[in-house]
Amino acid sequence: MYLIGEFRDKAAVRTAICMLRAGGLSSVDLDLFSEEPVEFPQGVLDRPSRMSLAAVAGAVVCGLLATAFVYWTQHNYKLVTGGMPVFSFWATGVITYEMTMLGAIVSTFGWFLWESGVIRKRDKSAPVPDVDPGSICLRVRCRAEEAALASEVMSRSGAIGIERRGEA
Amino acid sequence: MEHRWGMAIDLDRCTGCEACVVACHAENNLPISNPDQAAKGRTAHWIRIDRYYEGEFPDVKVKYMPVLCQHCDDAPCEPVCPVYATYHNPEGLNVQVYNRRVGTFYCANNCPYTVRYFNWFAPEWPEPLQLQHNPDVAVRMAGVMEKCTFCIQRIKRSKEDAAQEGRPLADGDVRPACVQSCPAEAMVFGDLNDPESNVSRLAQNGRATHLLEELGTKPKVFYLHKVK
Amino acid sequence: MTTAPELLPYSRIREDLFRPLSGISRSYLLATLAALVIGAAGLVAWGYQLRRGMGVTGLQRPVFWGFYIVDFVFWIGISHAGTLISAILRLIDAAWRKPVTRAAEAITVFALMIGGMFPIIHLGRAWLFYWLLPYPNARMIWPNFRSPLLWDLTAIVTYMTGSVIYLYLPLIPDVAQLAKHNMTWRRALYRALSLGWTGSDREWHALERAMKLMACIILAVAVSVHTVVAWDFSMALAPMWHSTIFGPYFVAGAIFSGIAALLVVLAALRKILHLELYLTQRHFHNLAKLLLLMSLLWFYFTVAENLTVWYGNEPKEMAVFGARTRAHYAPYFWATVFLNFVVPFVLLSVRRLRTIATATVASVSVLVGMWLERFVIVVPTLANPRLAAASSLYTPTWVEIAITAATFAAMVMMYLVFSKLFPIIAVWEFKPHKEEED
Repeated sequence: MYLIGEFRDKAAVRTAICMLRAGGLSSVDLDLFSEEPVEFPQGVLDRPSRMSLAAVAGAVVCGLLATAFVYWTQHNYKLVTGGMPVFSFWATGVITYEMTMLGAIVSTFGWFLWESGVIRKRDKSAPVPDVDPGSICLRVRCRAEEAALASEVMSRSGAIGIERRGEA
Repeated sequence: MEHRWGMAIDLDRCTGCEACVVACHAENNLPISNPDQAAKGRTAHWIRIDRYYEGEFPDVKVKYMPVLCQHCDDAPCEPVCPVYATYHNPEGLNVQVYNRRVGTFYCANNCPYTVRYFNWFAPEWPEPLQLQHNPDVAVRMAGVMEKCTFCIQRIKRSKEDAAQEGRPLADGDVRPACVQSCPAEAMVFGDLNDPESNVSRLAQNGRATHLLEELGTKPKVFYLHKVK
Repeated sequence: MTTAPELLPYSRIREDLFRPLSGISRSYLLATLAALVIGAAGLVAWGYQLRRGMGVTGLQRPVFWGFYIVDFVFWIGISHAGTLISAILRLIDAAWRKPVTRAAEAITVFALMIGGMFPIIHLGRAWLFYWLLPYPNARMIWPNFRSPLLWDLTAIVTYMTGSVIYLYLPLIPDVAQLAKHNMTWRRALYRALSLGWTGSDREWHALERAMKLMACIILAVAVSVHTVVAWDFSMALAPMWHSTIFGPYFVAGAIFSGIAALLVVLAALRKILHLELYLTQRHFHNLAKLLLLMSLLWFYFTVAENLTVWYGNEPKEMAVFGARTRAHYAPYFWATVFLNFVVPFVLLSVRRLRTIATATVASVSVLVGMWLERFVIVVPTLANPRLAAASSLYTPTWVEIAITAATFAAMVMMYLVFSKLFPIIAVWEFKPHKEEED
């Protein structure tokens, strides 16, 4: 089941998150909803990201594939131009570079879609609160027996409203 | 043995009569520009006679220089073509594949000799010149670049003739239209791989130079002139 | 003193920035109509050129590249507005960038679309442009990847993909908002574009991270794109093209004209959409200072390029240099120096003169000057080839002028449509963005 607490300021959300996590909830079960980015320092609501790694991996893969493709096409139909070698690395280096960058761009975008969750709404039944401008909603997924505690934690940290949604 | 075609042009013999230009037009189905287009610099001559003037009037000396595609070994025009419409064939010719062309103009910009010509419009011939087309040469469509091919159709024909007669190709068998028509016999064509050929001997001659040699394009056209 | 927009209530900001999206005024219609007519004239001209052949242009041997290539370089240059302003300012986290970035990113995408057209318009057989793409075909041949034109193609494809994504990413939260507040036919469009954005912290987190990465990547791509455009020229053996300075020179020029384009667009948006509160003196001030900096950099490169040629005194290069500075093309060259250096320098280096109006005037001057600069780079070199006997002159025809004019109309039209569909200032970025604690 889900609890949705509405907060007015960031510090209160932060206290609530810290207390909930201290109480045994994992950060996977916590979601914030807001009309603006809310950022916390390390250790509050950790969201590990592999996006940079994905970008580098995509870049390397795409660059290598492009170079291999150029090599193959040049050898597939060998034509000599301007006295250059059939596969001329320096003359096709720009292609390698651009395709490396294209790999980084595409994998960054792909990883963004994946990591943000927009292409894998794992739990379609999870309620999405309507956030008023300026407020922050904290959605907590928990078992029914934890709900009372979680709700108390939230109101103690300054939630202005708490709502229960979904079945256990 | 593979051929490596080359040409030697004796500038001391050239009279600037332009017979080579006319012969080239007839042989290679070159379109005829109207005066309007010619004034705009839209003429197409695969070989042209550049004129250079020396001295002050009235003591002027005119120098003629027939300029055609130099068939460079390291041709700057070739690598810049994105569609391989111009490339180096095994006999060292810088060949044109008209059907591959898309018309980027890049080859022409990168040719230091400015010997590439473009078909600005669909080609036209004033009557009755359309009746004298050479069946061995394709008529080029609008939008493609073209240039001297060393009369590749004649090279092929000569090779076929020699094969049919069961003999090797002899020096002087292949004569491009310009060479054939030069009344001063200023132009010699032949195989540079054959050390005995006329053109090879002329190339070894101390009078032989390349046009814009400093660019390192390794042209296969040699210009012979008196060394001062 | 007016309130800084960051301190306005969010609902007010949203209202202000979403308002331009609804309703179509008379002048909007007129502007769109005018752009359509000019654009249509350009299409007619292109159709005529396709039908008759490239002979309808002023091109001739040896000037095989003319107005179209100048336009190509110019528009690709303009496209550097977005990446530079938005990516660099995002990376150094300059707070004043916020109302400026989207306008800049949109310029990038549209200028690229236009610039990318020119290599096709310029083709002798434009209907066969796809032969440059690597795909298995009946000709049994692949493209020649050694050609700088293929470099161009890959660079522009990469840059286009990157800029579209770079424009799109920060647009997502805004279209999600629009989908929520809009009841017209646009709702479906906004909803599809928002990708089901809910505003969860995972989404925000991924967005911010992606924007940071994209800013780095797009910078590297932008520098390479204009370098490759420059290399189209400097790979050729032509006098004064075959120069190592062209890469950085073109990149600097591109950024220069990009900032100018951005300033003009911002001044127009400010007036037309009544965004005086959001695009303030401060933005114009800062951008004008950047413009001034680039103007000085441009002047430095121009001196470096021409001085080395003049001092070296090599005959083939001097022929081009002479045509540029003393003969047929001299008016264009000196106009370039005047418009790109003297005008911005005088107007923008004196603090008291640096206003929104003068910044706009200087930008228009730079735009004209940079177009001419590309003309001065492209044409005199071709008109004076190594064999002096083949030299010639180039005068454009109405076809080239019509197509050039049409691209400016196309830019205006795309911007008009874009500003009706999407808020031209990123609304969500305006929210107070306090520094991280601890």
